[in-house]
Amino acid sequence: MAHRRCLLSLARHATAIISQKKMPPLSAVEVLTRKPNPAITIPNSELSWFSFWSHSRHFSSSKSEDSETEVEVEMEEASDVEAENDNAASDLGRDYSPEEKEAEAVAIGYKIGSHQFKVSNGDSIFTERLKFCEVNDKLILNKVLLLGSPTQTIIGRPILPDAAVHAVVEEHALDAKVIIFKKKRRKNYRRTKGHRQELTKLRITDIQGIEKQEIKTDGKPLKAAVKNPEKIAAAV
Amino acid sequence: MESELPTFKEKNPQLEVVTELIRGQHPHLKGFYKNKNERVVCVKNMTPEDILLYGTRLRNALGRKVVKLKTRHVTKHPSVQGTWTTDVKF
Repeated sequence: MAHRRCLLSLARHATAIISQKKMPPLSAVEVLTRKPNPAITIPNSELSWFSFWSHSRHFSSSKSEDSETEVEVEMEEASDVEAENDNAASDLGRDYSPEEKEAEAVAIGYKIGSHQFKVSNGDSIFTERLKFCEVNDKLILNKVLLLGSPTQTIIGRPILPDAAVHAVVEEHALDAKVIIFKKKRRKNYRRTKGHRQELTKLRITDIQGIEKQEIKTDGKPLKAAVKNPEKIAAAV
Repeated sequence: MESELPTFKEKNPQLEVVTELIRGQHPHLKGFYKNKNERVVCVKNMTPEDILLYGTRLRNALGRKVVKLKTRHVTKHPSVQGTWTTDVKF
């Protein structure tokens, strides 16, 4: 059923509006999933796509339903992505989908750990605990749903292939304690449980994929909200 | 704990790790943060692995006060193209 859905969406995309960007070959992805052997060397362009999806399995991203074939692909590439994650400077293994909107400091909305955020440059996000990064690690978030700036909006379908969000891990901390209290009255049943969720705080440093406008001290920037050229970028 | 401490010290050269023997009190870990916050964790009857875990947690965390989060997303620029009001015309 999922396969049929993918084929339907493929057909829809083909007949839909022209996409200037290259269609990352879904057919190629399907072909590659037939090969179960992880030892096959995969060209670099495909590797980036695999690294997209390999983590969506771990973190239960709801994006995975869009691409039924990638679910199989993730398992092959998990071992490769682990090696990538140990990079000191920046980790490419983030497969959350960011939705980006750009401001003068680039506002982005991205999806991370199955939540979507709209972020701009320099603000902080609390997400679920990310297992593979230490404090002061740089992360590149690849799944960008939308990019925006005061004059331009780029919409991804569903993600934008050439957009990236750079973030730095600020801290791994525990949330405040919530007490889970269960009681059934007149039945002598009472339970108390404490729970502290582990969170990671990310600070966004940079957004790429759209021209940024530095707003000089010019008074009101485009308050009339004229969204000039809307480039619909077809992705996936 | 003594086995884990040297590796912990080496992994975190930016931290100053001091061991003191305090009599008459439970053993505890004390973390001093840059915003002059102190966090104390009691480690009575804990295995070295657990103590290491708590130590790493203290190291990972900022000195923020532990309160329930109001929002998961803290931003200075909530709107890119201008917040909508009823006067905005497209």
